[in-house]
Amino acid sequence: MTQTYVVGQVADLPEGAHMVVEVRGRAVGVFNVHGQYYALPNACFHQNGPLCQGAVSGTVVATAETGWRRTWTAEGEIIVCPWHALEFDITTGQCLAYPKRRLPTWEVKVDGDTLTVLM
Amino acid sequence: MKSSTLEGHPLKKDGMVVVDVDVHAHETPAVLAPYCEMPWRKTLEHLATVPARYLDIPGFAPSIGLLPSFPHSGGDRRTTVTSAAQMRQDLDDLGVDIAVIFPDHLLSHAALKQDDYAVALARAYNRWLVEEWLTQANGLKGALIAPHHSPEAAAAEIRRYANHPHVVAVYLPTCAVDPLYGHRRYDPMYAAAQAAGLPVMLHSVTLVHPNFPFNLQGYETMFATHLLAHPFSLIANLVSMIETGVPERFPELKIAFTEGGIAWVPWIMLRMDKEYAERRREVAILKDRPSTYVKKMFFATQPIEEPEHLADMATLLTLFGGEDSVMFASDWPHHDFDHPSKVLQIPLSDTVRRKIMGQNAMRLLRLEKPQPEPAR
Repeated sequence: MTQTYVVGQVADLPEGAHMVVEVRGRAVGVFNVHGQYYALPNACFHQNGPLCQGAVSGTVVATAETGWRRTWTAEGEIIVCPWHALEFDITTGQCLAYPKRRLPTWEVKVDGDTLTVLM
Repeated sequence: MKSSTLEGHPLKKDGMVVVDVDVHAHETPAVLAPYCEMPWRKTLEHLATVPARYLDIPGFAPSIGLLPSFPHSGGDRRTTVTSAAQMRQDLDDLGVDIAVIFPDHLLSHAALKQDDYAVALARAYNRWLVEEWLTQANGLKGALIAPHHSPEAAAAEIRRYANHPHVVAVYLPTCAVDPLYGHRRYDPMYAAAQAAGLPVMLHSVTLVHPNFPFNLQGYETMFATHLLAHPFSLIANLVSMIETGVPERFPELKIAFTEGGIAWVPWIMLRMDKEYAERRREVAILKDRPSTYVKKMFFATQPIEEPEHLADMATLLTLFGGEDSVMFASDWPHHDFDHPSKVLQIPLSDTVRRKIMGQNAMRLLRLEKPQPEPAR
């Protein structure tokens, strides 16, 4: 049964910021990525590390288009688990090292001055 | 040999094709000299006068012979094959239909100094191989030596023989190679192999050059040196190729590892996956865990591990998709050769046996199934 939960004030979460809140007894990371809001579980599938307490950053890719050179990209869109540095795309929950592993994501809405999560 | 032939084996009678991805032709300085360009022909003519020992000729098969040894207990079994006809007869006795020929002494080729000399030797060997061993449709196939000393020269050799009907692979001498085979200087070689549709086969030997691969020169027995030098050299190069994304940059290139057994494969695969979880950014060229690439590589059986419970080998295969990537190899006629019957003793389904004894190699090497009565 999906319900709406208030997780904080819009002012609490400026662009580029993220925070961990408790929703229905569950730790959830809420992110503001380029003005869009996202929510992920604060638990890495790898060894259950506190994923959303990690740092938000970009990441490195290397493709044929750049002659296989390492290139920095996706600044502000990647959360890195503080335990073993597994990287996740905040906007999709996709794990970068494990193509078949994707975390659940929840919708975050702005309701006046407050932020709500649908869980 | 005759007493242990496979002719009576039910699968053999039922038409199973046996492909042996590792046998050795005995190339000496004397036989290569006529095929070698000047001035290095002079070197080979000189080396032909030097007393040779098993896989040990100064300046040709460099060996750091520091270790004392006891006589082998194997009696006086012949450990060289000096002609195509002799090889064909030996393979018939072993029950092998198709075999891929590697060199003897030039297993140490990567350790040779003087780039021009090493390239000339590789060219001479390749000419000799093609003209003396690969002249008939009799199941004898060959792997070209790619001299790592000059990747451009190696690429030229690959292009020269790309369409030869019996050249089926490119041999990368694996011991003492520096830098390791993942280095980008080798890209021309891999591009040429990929374009030619030829797999690269890394083949190891007991050669523990100082610092390669690690300080194994500190051991005091061949027991320790031989058992680790082979798999370590393969592991070091496999990791190098993963590190620089060779399988990503050359997606059609097929890669095979020869003469290290197979038990190390799941270990290094899982070890790389573990490391990758934490350090993906450093190897961002990879699109998935290293194991996904390892599972597309090929591995030759010899020296096949012989655990107390042979069924453990069947389990081992399941850890890295080995049913579709492991290929029988005998290493005939070397001291530690495996008879095909040893691999056939592993409790596997007949379907998997057929894959390992021939079909996987036929896929790697793009071989046609031999006719019922091949012309020999």
